[in-house]
Amino acid sequence: MLKIIASFSKRLFRRNQETDNLPLEAGEIEKLRLTFKSRYHSFKLLLANNSRILEAMAEMEKALQGEEPFSMSLVQSNSTKVSVNVFRMIGDIENIAPGKYTALKDSFKEIQKRIDALLVQKKVIVDKRLVIPLAGVDSSMVDMAGGKMANLGDIKNRLEMNVPEGFVITAAAHELFMTSKGLQKEVDRLFQVAGSDEDRNLDLVSSQCRQLIMAAEVPEPICLAVTTAYSAIKEKNDGQEVRMAVRSSAYGEDAVNSSFAGQYRSELNVIFPRFFHYYKQVVASKYSVQAISYKMNRGFRDEDIAMCVGCLAMVDAVVGGVIYTGNPLDNRDNSIYINSTWGLPKAVVDGNDLCDLFVVARDEALTILRREVREKKYQVLCYEEEGCVRSETDAYKKNTPSLTDEQIQNLADHAVRIEQYYESPQDIEWAIDAVGKIYILQSRPLQQLELILPGEELNLQRYQSSLVAEGGINASPGVACGSVFKVNKKAEILQFPDGAVLIVEQALPTWAPLVSRAAAVVSEQGGFAGHLANVAREFGIPALFGVKGAMVKLQNGDIVTVAADLGQMYLGCISVLLEWTRPASKLMLGSPVYELLREVSREIIPLHLLDPESREFTPQNCKTFHDITRFIHEKSVYEMFNFGKDHSFSERSSKQLHYKVPMNWWILNLDDGFSHEIEGKYVKLEDITSIPMLAFWEGFAAIPWDGPPAIDGAGMTSILFRSTMNPALVTGMSTKYAERNYFMVSKNYCTLSSRLGYHFCTMEAMVSERSGENYLGFKFKGGAADYERCVGRVHLIRDILEQYGFRATVNIDNLDARLEGFNMEHMRRHVKILGYLTLHTRQLDMVMNNRGMVNYYMAKFTKDIDSLIKPQPL
Amino acid sequence: MEKKQRGFKLLLVDDEDFFREATARQLTVRGFHVLTADCGEAAVLMTQNERPEVVVLDQEMPGMRGSETFIEIKKIDPLIEVIVLTGNTSVDNAIEMMQQGTFDYLMKPVNIDELLYKIEDAYTRKKLNERQNQDAAS
Repeated sequence: MLKIIASFSKRLFRRNQETDNLPLEAGEIEKLRLTFKSRYHSFKLLLANNSRILEAMAEMEKALQGEEPFSMSLVQSNSTKVSVNVFRMIGDIENIAPGKYTALKDSFKEIQKRIDALLVQKKVIVDKRLVIPLAGVDSSMVDMAGGKMANLGDIKNRLEMNVPEGFVITAAAHELFMTSKGLQKEVDRLFQVAGSDEDRNLDLVSSQCRQLIMAAEVPEPICLAVTTAYSAIKEKNDGQEVRMAVRSSAYGEDAVNSSFAGQYRSELNVIFPRFFHYYKQVVASKYSVQAISYKMNRGFRDEDIAMCVGCLAMVDAVVGGVIYTGNPLDNRDNSIYINSTWGLPKAVVDGNDLCDLFVVARDEALTILRREVREKKYQVLCYEEEGCVRSETDAYKKNTPSLTDEQIQNLADHAVRIEQYYESPQDIEWAIDAVGKIYILQSRPLQQLELILPGEELNLQRYQSSLVAEGGINASPGVACGSVFKVNKKAEILQFPDGAVLIVEQALPTWAPLVSRAAAVVSEQGGFAGHLANVAREFGIPALFGVKGAMVKLQNGDIVTVAADLGQMYLGCISVLLEWTRPASKLMLGSPVYELLREVSREIIPLHLLDPESREFTPQNCKTFHDITRFIHEKSVYEMFNFGKDHSFSERSSKQLHYKVPMNWWILNLDDGFSHEIEGKYVKLEDITSIPMLAFWEGFAAIPWDGPPAIDGAGMTSILFRSTMNPALVTGMSTKYAERNYFMVSKNYCTLSSRLGYHFCTMEAMVSERSGENYLGFKFKGGAADYERCVGRVHLIRDILEQYGFRATVNIDNLDARLEGFNMEHMRRHVKILGYLTLHTRQLDMVMNNRGMVNYYMAKFTKDIDSLIKPQPL
Repeated sequence: MEKKQRGFKLLLVDDEDFFREATARQLTVRGFHVLTADCGEAAVLMTQNERPEVVVLDQEMPGMRGSETFIEIKKIDPLIEVIVLTGNTSVDNAIEMMQQGTFDYLMKPVNIDELLYKIEDAYTRKKLNERQNQDAAS
């Protein structure tokens, strides 16, 4: 931008002298004033739109770091914000220079077309079958049957293991259900009305959506297909009624290390007359509070998930549980971990109670390495009528191993075969019935973590007195410190403070929405195979289970350190343990929403048009929205500067600043930047009303600059060398490098291009009562010294600006800094900083290889700036 | 909060009672002379009778939709500036409306200050267009 302003201003100034002698008619002047006013208004709108685009791009870039959860609404609203404002900028430049840049519209259309294609991509369901018997399902049918049922189909049909009879109600059925009476539209509308992700009342919107689904009728074709499939199972059971398990098998559940563990509803022991009620409950559970927050935290779009429902004949389990074909907490350990309890496996996956753990080696004999038989107080059994009951275990069974050695080895054998088939570690749910038959109920990929052991130097001896719990189960590794918050009932979820340590009695999936907000999770019950443990591992949140008495021993507000890997919890903040924390996981990476954002960003953020002087700097070469924005911004400044020359209109030509003496600063008044129309070639500082320009000048002139610092020998050699190589750098030579400094001003706006010494800088500021539209932009480049010294200076300026709240980035020797959204006084103070730095960093590059000098100037500048911007006494 | 009086009429059209009333209240406090309408038909009538300078128009309304209302309003006063509000984040809708000549497009939930800036800018644009039209006519 600077070069353009400089070269055109030069011509403008020359023209100025010519046009002064050709006075215009009063009517013509009035017309020109009006035209200029209208263009300036468009210019102001253009700048505000430009600012909005940069803000939206900054938000997208932040989200791309993948550390914070975000939903589809962030992608959609920011890309819309960028598109709409780019479109408006094209309209604005059209108002400023009618007909000159119309080719931008074609570039816009092309880019927008690519973005639209990314945003509207929707899965088309080709197979329209509403119900498929399990005998006809395999893993190629994930789209139709969901991951869970597709895998189970493989296990039944290809591995020929025992899997209960069943069928799947497909994605096509889900689509039919949600679209036949406009349910999906209404759900979308409820979310829309509920506001942004942050403002939304999750409980309310969740309850509205679920009620809507529960009140709807299941379409007739689905009812018919289900009844036919059920009848076939009943027939195989000698015509006897069959109890069913109705389970979610959502499409998308198994994408990129996301388990959706326990997020959706499963209903056990369902009688057929009540079947459709439970089908709707499973479908509605897509909108449970925990499912909505999980989807948001893990970057799934609502439309990514089709709720397929698996229906299996109930196994009247005597014993059940979960097998991990590796240690979830240590990816080097490939032993088989069998968690088991009396009755249905529900007690293990829900995490209500303790269960037995058997660890089996992968040797030929499948040697049992470890047996941890725990007190299994409760078991889950099928009710005679319908549903399940959690009842107290018979006394003699409580502490008895739930599996025999033969069963353990048999289960391990099943697990190894399933893992070999899928070629990856698996998390398998199983049950054994009264005659000892093993049934596989589910298999999904197991996520294994890397074990990080404490160094030998970790000595916790002196913290022994603070130890409040040990011997707990490491459900999710890591160390965290925070204040205790105990949660007993669902209502307390609302009061949970971000960053607290969640303490609960049972490790229920209900608490899953709190996991991503907690520093750590501690439960009195539960094991590492439960849903809550799975969720904690996914989110990288330390979880310590089986901590007896935690709810009683600890009070809300107590500060504790949870060291899950050690099975310990301490009162107070134990810093030596915290140093051993593993790096935060980037949860969003790889999720569907993240991938979409990445692809959309590629059409928006990269900047290819870097050099305005280049022949490539054309509308046709705008490949991204950033390119269009950059192009328009550059050209709008050029057009505003050019107006006076193009129209032989001296009133809108630049004036030379007269500050005590004529200065090397030229100023173009865009609108109300001068207190009155200025005749002749000079304007005095007191005639200028531009708030940002005056603030800049205040900073520029506040503290005298005592000349460039003494140059060390190497610095001088470096300059001499570069001057020899590049004659344009020799002071006094008439080259494009010896241009003047130019301001364009209005009352609330100013842009400056400046060359002081051997560096270029541009500053743009909007400082008005509209805090939301205020911004400062500062670019700095170049220098006379060698590359290393130039870079050194740029880094020094960046460090100072960051210290005062600017967002600053350095790319090679280019500095780009920005600050936005503050009130007028705050912005004024920061413009002063830029004025000060513009002068005081002049030729500083020469001493930038001397650490002592760098420190000296850092301290001096900070001190000067502090005195410059401190609030004035009333 | 800005207290200065803005001596021009503004018409706010939205079928959601709570949003319309709350926004009208906030804009009145900021010195605007606010007229309201709860549907497109009422907005057209109000434009005919009251001649507002700027219209803030909800896109999704039962009955006459925002885009239809916009066309009818423009027939009455071609220089009137219209800002469209929407809960729908579709780019196509936004671009289409702007191609038809709306001044700007804001997504709900609306930041009241941003809306205020847009209204002021729309009013300035209208006055500039009026003056340019007068000049051209003379």
